[in-house]
Amino acid sequence: MTGWLSFFQDVFEYWPQILGGLGNTLLLFAIVTVTGLIGGILVFYQALSPNRHVRRITEGYISFFIGTPLIVLLFLMYYGLPQTGIHLSPLAVAVIGFTMNVAAYNARYLMSAYNGIDASELEAARAQGFSTLQVFRLVTLPQTLRLAMPGLTNQVILNLKDSSIVFLIQYTEFFAQMQELAARNFQYFKVYLLTGLVYLLLVSLVVLAARWLERRVLPAACRT
Amino acid sequence: MLLQVRQLTKSFDDKTILRGVDLDLAEGQLKVIMGPSGCGKSTLLRCLNRLIEPSSGQVIFRGKDVLQPGTDVRALRQQIGFVFQQFALYRHLSALHNVTLALRKLRGMSVREAHAKAMHELGRMNMAEHADQYPAQLSGGQKQRVAIARALAMDPAVLFFDEPTSALDPLMSREVVSVIKQLQLDNVTMLCVTHDPFLAKSIADRVMFLDEGVVRAEGTVAEIFGAHADPRIRDFFAHEHSAA
Repeated sequence: MTGWLSFFQDVFEYWPQILGGLGNTLLLFAIVTVTGLIGGILVFYQALSPNRHVRRITEGYISFFIGTPLIVLLFLMYYGLPQTGIHLSPLAVAVIGFTMNVAAYNARYLMSAYNGIDASELEAARAQGFSTLQVFRLVTLPQTLRLAMPGLTNQVILNLKDSSIVFLIQYTEFFAQMQELAARNFQYFKVYLLTGLVYLLLVSLVVLAARWLERRVLPAACRT
Repeated sequence: MLLQVRQLTKSFDDKTILRGVDLDLAEGQLKVIMGPSGCGKSTLLRCLNRLIEPSSGQVIFRGKDVLQPGTDVRALRQQIGFVFQQFALYRHLSALHNVTLALRKLRGMSVREAHAKAMHELGRMNMAEHADQYPAQLSGGQKQRVAIARALAMDPAVLFFDEPTSALDPLMSREVVSVIKQLQLDNVTMLCVTHDPFLAKSIADRVMFLDEGVVRAEGTVAEIFGAHADPRIRDFFAHEHSAA
């Protein structure tokens, strides 16, 4: 019991750094969730291009980023690019790396969902006189977003959990600060247990928000 | 003449679907195009608004050949209402929003104007009370009536129907037939593709018989459905009659 008391005293003393790390985690999470979704939509749009070469390049992009570990990409940019004279901040590397990776996954979810759209609706939109971009924006995208919602929300959860790897490129987010705390008080079990519980709490909040969003954007009436 | 088609052909790779089709459609006329499955009926309809690009020929709509380069295809399509076999309603939108979407995004109407116009057209189709329902909540006949309201809302010069009753049971088919008859009374110009003799007999001013991409005959309902000289046409109707 005394052990836990002194542990929480350590946490309390280190609280400003932990809070700062948590803020950095949430900042990165919020940015890559938005940029990853926008990037995924752009990649998805390119994947529907009538131009065969554009489609192939897009497929190559998706395969490359899904097939490459994110940490390799982050190290390549953070440790590799300076050798070519390009220096990026840890946050910039994290945002760019995550965005390219998450965009590929989101595009894949959207492409799978696209197969669930009735082709006659797209033909009807063209027959009404909508442009290609309007058909995408008004018919294709709203439906694919709805159909891909479970995959997209799972990706949001992964964004939060995976953000913990960016401590490896010197971005001082929550996990990095908890590691620092563990290195100070040597209470590894307690520190990482607390770290896991905080991530679980954050993920639970994201799950609740995601399920609420799914219910809102996917009314029972248009599920079939 | 609202629409004149001359020597229209369409080939996909080495397969020719339409072979020199001629067609005239006058203002206020309802012409039915019949023929066996795969004869090119639906392809013909899609060539007329360039959902499918014809290989050669002329499509003269309101005096202008719309196959010429420089034609504003989107403007052309906005003048042609299209009703599909499978209804093709946007399933993420309510019946009302299915009708208002093009009014707002293509005609630039305000929400209020588009709403009023859509409710008028839905009312005309006896669908006003279902305006807030989604396609999945409607019967087949109701969906088709919303699809017709969506097409009519754009005040098209002509309405195209592609097998409007083939996805419906007989009761719902009769609903759609009565709607088309009402439009006929309102002097709406229509071109309807079907292989349903009941529908053709109920609504057609004139019937065109298409077979293997060629117009085999054209005439009144009595001329085409009677003891026609062409054995292919006689066989078709004998088969359709026994199938029904």
